[in-house]
Amino acid sequence: MSGVRHAVPSVLLIAGVVLQVTAVIGVSVMRNVLDRLHYVSLAGFGALLVGISILCAESFSLIGDKALVTGALLVLAGPVLVHATARSLRARALGDWREGIEEHREEEG
Amino acid sequence: MNRWEIAALVIMVALLPCLGVAVFAGAAAALAAVEVASVLAVTALMLLSEGFRRQPFIDLAVVLALLSTVGSLTFARLMEADP
Repeated sequence: MSGVRHAVPSVLLIAGVVLQVTAVIGVSVMRNVLDRLHYVSLAGFGALLVGISILCAESFSLIGDKALVTGALLVLAGPVLVHATARSLRARALGDWREGIEEHREEEG
Repeated sequence: MNRWEIAALVIMVALLPCLGVAVFAGAAAALAAVEVASVLAVTALMLLSEGFRRQPFIDLAVVLALLSTVGSLTFARLMEADP
């Protein structure tokens, strides 16, 4: 049982770090800015896994609780950041983010 | 070094490519790199807090998570107005 209690945080920690390293590789390698933006949310999920890992190791302590809250905050903030950034980039390129949106809308009915 | 400190070291090394993108790529790509780098910095603080058993470090992580989110949103808003 002790082995499991030691192994679960390690597995979660490795998974979180791997996700974050993947996000860094994606941001570094991708050529398009919108492609790079996809990896912001991925890094947030890595932070959540690390937070859960700390919580598993510490149980519900001051560090464990705040690590979980921080990871959850980053996961929730990721899509908001991506959306706001993509919208601002579109507005920067076209003048208004609604410009040309009708061309991409699927026909109704 | 325990496992938390090793993970924090890996995360801090992973900050270097983000720094490279922020310096050498365009402004829009730099913003994406800064957003990822801020998540990495928060994670490194969480790991150092657990690795060194220092509770104040986790408060830094919480505050940095909040401030980096607001800061990134501000940069995105300002970039929209920048021609």
